Amino acid sequence: MQDDDLDHLLAAAAKATPAPSEALMQRVLADALALQPQPAALHPAPAPARTGRLTRFLQALGGGPALAGLGTAAVFGVVLGYLSPTTLDYLTGSTADAAEFFPDADFLTTEG
Amino acid sequence: MAFDAGGDTSDEALMVLYANGDRHAALALTQRVTPRVLAYAARLLSGDRAEAEDVAQETMLRLWKVAPQWRQGETKVTTWAYRVATNLCIDRQRAKGRKRQMALDDAPEIADGAQGAEDRMQDAGRMAALEAALAELPDRQRQAVILRHLEGMTNPEIAAIMEIGVEAVESLTARGKRALAAVLAGRKAALGYEDDSHAG
Repeated sequence: MQDDDLDHLLAAAAKATPAPSEALMQRVLADALALQPQPAALHPAPAPARTGRLTRFLQALGGGPALAGLGTAAVFGVVLGYLSPTTLDYLTGSTADAAEFFPDADFLTTEG
Repeated sequence: MAFDAGGDTSDEALMVLYANGDRHAALALTQRVTPRVLAYAARLLSGDRAEAEDVAQETMLRLWKVAPQWRQGETKVTTWAYRVATNLCIDRQRAKGRKRQMALDDAPEIADGAQGAEDRMQDAGRMAALEAALAELPDRQRQAVILRHLEGMTNPEIAAIMEIGVEAVESLTARGKRALAAVLAGRKAALGYEDDSHAG
């Protein structure tokens, strides 16, 4: 047998490719889909809550801690106003009257 | 995005897409790789169509399983598939303990052209004789001849599939082809070369 004959025979055989049956293709595809990794589920991030004007104003003041301090000071002020302020005179009035910061300074204002 | 069997997207890129859950990639790979693996397995198994389909399905099954760990640039998908199919065919042949001679009825279907019935019968006879002659070659020579001359692969590709050197591939294909010619020389009648004055 000549080489050319064998080459022609091999070339003809190469063209005579057996086609896969539809059933085989379906089985292979079914395997592919059954074994295919599933894409990771993606969940949309929740939309940020809308903030009103009051919220933004309070945040501008400093938020919760600042408001707590402010509230405490306000309550304390109300309490001081409600209670008799005369009790404070005891502390401020008497000491102010009794105190003499420059006892020896009178001679500076005395004529003669 | 859809991929067809003849699209520009490489098989390796399709593997990555498949592993990422792309169903179109699964379809494209099925359409591209399955026919080639089936044809190769049918030739290695001397035309046993049922066995070849089992080998093709098993090869593809292993391809799907390895997809999540597939690393691009290391191996071509077809090289990997041919290698797996080769091993599966060898295992099946060893399990049988003998090589099966392909009957004429099992000859692969030949594209129906404008030839006459007599020519088609002659072609079918030649294909059957070739399959039978291939079956008589040693396993490695048969693999090399089929990959080189029937699957149209290059020597480096064959070397990668058979996991041997390129020089070894050249030696195997040369010896295989000589052995094939010797076997076929005794079957001139089946080949229709009896009138060829050069035959012998």
